[in-house]
Amino acid sequence: MHGVRRARQTQEAIAAQKLKEKEKLQEYLSLTNDVLHRKKTNDFTQEALALTTRLLTANPEFYSIWNYRRDILTEGIFPQTSAKDVNDILLAELSLTMSFLRSHPKVYWIWNHRRWCLEHVPDDQGQQTIAWKQENWSKELYAVEKMLDADARNFHAWNYRRYVQASMPGKYSDADELKYTTKKIESNFSNFSAWHQRTKVLSSLWETGTLDMAASKDEEFELVKQALYVDPYDQSSWIYHRWLIGKGEDEGILKREIQVIEELSEVEPDCKWCLESLCHYKRLLLASFTHNEDQRIALVDACQSLLSRLQSIDPYRRNRYLELGEF
Amino acid sequence: MTSELLIPLHVKYIQSLDNHKDDLAYHLTTHLRINGIYWGLTSLCIMGHQDALPREEMIDFVMSCWDEKAGAFGPHPDHDAHLLSTLSAIQILATQKALDRIDVKRVTDFLLSLQTASGVFAGDRFGETDTRFTYCAVNALSLLGQLGKLEGDRKERAIEHIKQCRNFDGGFGSSVGAESHAGQIFVCVAALAILDRLEEVDVPTLAWWLSERQLPNGGLNGRPEKLEDVCYSFWVLSAMAILDKVTWIDAEKLTSFILSAQDTEGGGIADRPGDMVDVFHTHFGVAGLSLLGYPGLEDLDPVYCMPAKLIEEMGLRKQWTALERRKLP
Ligand SMILES: [Zn+2]
Repeated sequence: MHGVRRARQTQEAIAAQKLKEKEKLQEYLSLTNDVLHRKKTNDFTQEALALTTRLLTANPEFYSIWNYRRDILTEGIFPQTSAKDVNDILLAELSLTMSFLRSHPKVYWIWNHRRWCLEHVPDDQGQQTIAWKQENWSKELYAVEKMLDADARNFHAWNYRRYVQASMPGKYSDADELKYTTKKIESNFSNFSAWHQRTKVLSSLWETGTLDMAASKDEEFELVKQALYVDPYDQSSWIYHRWLIGKGEDEGILKREIQVIEELSEVEPDCKWCLESLCHYKRLLLASFTHNEDQRIALVDACQSLLSRLQSIDPYRRNRYLELGEF
Repeated sequence: MTSELLIPLHVKYIQSLDNHKDDLAYHLTTHLRINGIYWGLTSLCIMGHQDALPREEMIDFVMSCWDEKAGAFGPHPDHDAHLLSTLSAIQILATQKALDRIDVKRVTDFLLSLQTASGVFAGDRFGETDTRFTYCAVNALSLLGQLGKLEGDRKERAIEHIKQCRNFDGGFGSSVGAESHAGQIFVCVAALAILDRLEEVDVPTLAWWLSERQLPNGGLNGRPEKLEDVCYSFWVLSAMAILDKVTWIDAEKLTSFILSAQDTEGGGIADRPGDMVDVFHTHFGVAGLSLLGYPGLEDLDPVYCMPAKLIEEMGLRKQWTALERRKLP
């Protein structure tokens, strides 16, 4: 159970609660028995479908009942239904599951059922099929945005969003997704899920040549710099910064960014992320861009002094800093 | 706040879990029953009380979860088979040394039938895929001595998919493109360990990311800028143990955090201090403490999340390093 506070109840309170629950429990158990019996005997009727709605409303995590519901639809209902009505039934399934998601945003089985619905739109209706899919999938994108408005870190919703974008007819453009992540990040710099999504979208935009990598990277460094200055103690933007630096192939960028962070570190001398990043980037310089022995010695010294400072201000990770100091 | 693990109280709590048949909540969680038994049994083993739950009854219950149509186990009688419940069933039977009760051929066929073209496994016939399911299948095949059935192309595709789920931060997500998450990192790293392909892990980067999961209160979170939670003690620590990097966090602070989430009256461990306990967090809290070398506990194998002694006896032990067990004061 996540995030449910513990309340110490008296014996009397527990007994009263049980009494109150008794009827509900009986009803739930007899409904469960009824539905499981029908499931066993392959009852694929409309009546059985209605009973699964009741049972799933009481317990949307009962995945075997979601399975049964899909079997009822494909075995019992769809064969005698016109393509248009099948599409309507699937739309009704989508609104039913949306109401469940509002109260249970992290239940895998509900998200799965939506995928199944979208994948079962009748395929043999030519233009009509395309129109249905277009409409259903764009609605879906809207629905998932609502879910992300409610919880911007819900990874079910982010995964589902990527799935919808990959599946909808007419590819969803990476440029639009980049704008979406900008919007999410600007409303909260601490949303690492959005930063992560940005790493994926930008990689694709650079790879396809849609965006000029060098110019776009500079803009990204500007954006993340703002975030670092707003809250240098937030991991999200530091991790993103590390992605931008990558293996540190560009000496100029590496040196420029080290300078940016050194300036920030002067204002925020106790910020461990400044020191940790400086150490990491200087190690990259050391690995690829030391042109003579003096430079090498100077960089090793700089790293050692950063690491010893890190050991004292971030003692939880002390052993890591000790290990990194073994040049 | 208590500074020790209240073993007798937790044993009693786990024993009492089945006494709630008049609670609605008990019946609303039937879809997790077999997983719950695995969590309860494993934490009892780690606390040195394997016999606290009746063996025969447990084995009979597991066998009653057999789904004849699918050829695998559901979480409860009359529920549908799934990879998650099938792994739990196999783990319980292995721990109870009752694997001979299983129709190995049918279960193996079920497991192999769920591998998709991209290499990832589906959870059941409805096709939801997730790196969790790849781990479940690999772990289950290994426990059944059937990992050989995954040799060659099947194995390479499974590994290739896990690699595609790897992110720049060294972590892994549930699907290609998904954000790194400690739970998914555990399943991917452990699956690679069982498949002898840990070289696919970027150890310095991943161990850095994992060590940054520790928050000032000592607890671990599962993703950047999220709250701490006792269950991440296992997801994060298990991966660190496999990478030989448990020392990269503060063990003492994490130990205190887990202990502070105990219910000192009713037993059990919660996600965080003051919350309702459950058997899931009790198990993962105890598992975390075992990896941290907490005195008096048995060793837990972080790859299989089962008693280490058993995995060694089965000849399945992979390389991993937990903290040395401290002596009882
Ligand atoms: Zn948890």
